[in-house]
Amino acid sequence: MGSLKPVGPESNAVQGSSFLATRADFLINWGRKNSLWPMPLGLSCCGIELMGLLGPKFDLARFGAEAARFTPRQCDLLIVAGTLTWKMAQAARTIYDQMPDPKWVIAMGVCSSSGGMYDSYSVVQGIDSIMPVDLYVPGCPPRPDAVIDAVLKLQKKIEREDPLARLVGPATAPRAEEGTGQLVFQPNRGLPKGAWDKHAHDPKSRLPLGDPLPRKTEIKP
Amino acid sequence: MSDADANTPLAASAPRFAAALGALPHCISQSPDGPVIEVELANLHAVLRALRDGAGFELCSFVTCIDHYPTTPRFALHHQLLSLAHNDRVRVRCVLPGESAPTCTDLWPGANYMERECFDMFGVRFGGHPDLRRLLMPDGYDHHPLRKEFPHQGIEPDRLYRQWDRARRASWTDDAR
Repeated sequence: MGSLKPVGPESNAVQGSSFLATRADFLINWGRKNSLWPMPLGLSCCGIELMGLLGPKFDLARFGAEAARFTPRQCDLLIVAGTLTWKMAQAARTIYDQMPDPKWVIAMGVCSSSGGMYDSYSVVQGIDSIMPVDLYVPGCPPRPDAVIDAVLKLQKKIEREDPLARLVGPATAPRAEEGTGQLVFQPNRGLPKGAWDKHAHDPKSRLPLGDPLPRKTEIKP
Repeated sequence: MSDADANTPLAASAPRFAAALGALPHCISQSPDGPVIEVELANLHAVLRALRDGAGFELCSFVTCIDHYPTTPRFALHHQLLSLAHNDRVRVRCVLPGESAPTCTDLWPGANYMERECFDMFGVRFGGHPDLRRLLMPDGYDHHPLRKEFPHQGIEPDRLYRQWDRARRASWTDDAR
């Protein structure tokens, strides 16, 4: 398990020769998960809830994700809030492509998750048919609390990623944008996982029995 | 304002309509929501021009179409006109023998988008329209969704996106990635 606790003979010193020993991927993930920059893609009424989420009452800044930028080139968290039509789908995919790696996507609301009540010729039946999605937030629209919960779950998910695999791993490692719903998923061997694992919609999180990686799963109702 | 106030009784406005239309063949009737003038397609543009110039209908509220499928002819074009000076409304109904109609953007430039929407949803071609492109559906879409035979869940809804996506991926080079 990673830790940011200083170690060494003078670890209690406020200053001086204390140093930090941790794992690189833990440190990278720690930095990434606590400074998410959301790109708000408000497409319909969910966008109103998203404004409330970024506002002072619900205050996403408590979780380090308040720096909403309206250019995808400065963001790493795409929040698709609302009904995505096929006419808008090309623009949404372009926005996703313009975001620099690493990037994550939250499908906020049932419309972006599954098309919702719009079983229609003009509506994309779930944005995961055009871009990989990390988290789906149910609700019509979901309360800002639910999106905060999604951001916290996304932070847990980021904790389990293996950021060094893209740098030192084989060149054939699949890229996040290569497919739809085919996110690269590397369970961290050391981190304890809670019941939220069972709710991750990533098919790769549903590992078969006989998993070579023993998962310290504690499930409490 | 009640409905009775919104629509001048036909008896009051019929003389103005008759004076404006003159010898143009038409049929005036009263519907629950106002007077309706039914015209032939050949006289549609002339009737609209006469109503604008002679009866004071300076505003075209909307242009829309009704699909009476499987009746043939199936399309009926509706122009709803509004006279601010006379507080008067009239609807001009024209049954289309085919799928084309004359534009009225030369009379009311604001009819541009409404005719584009009508073309997009019903496939009615407006002759003389300055920019007859789709308004709501993506360019290149093959169907006209408000036609009665169109399934509301769509026909290959993602085909255009797939084409766009393939072209986009083909345009990528290894350097760009």
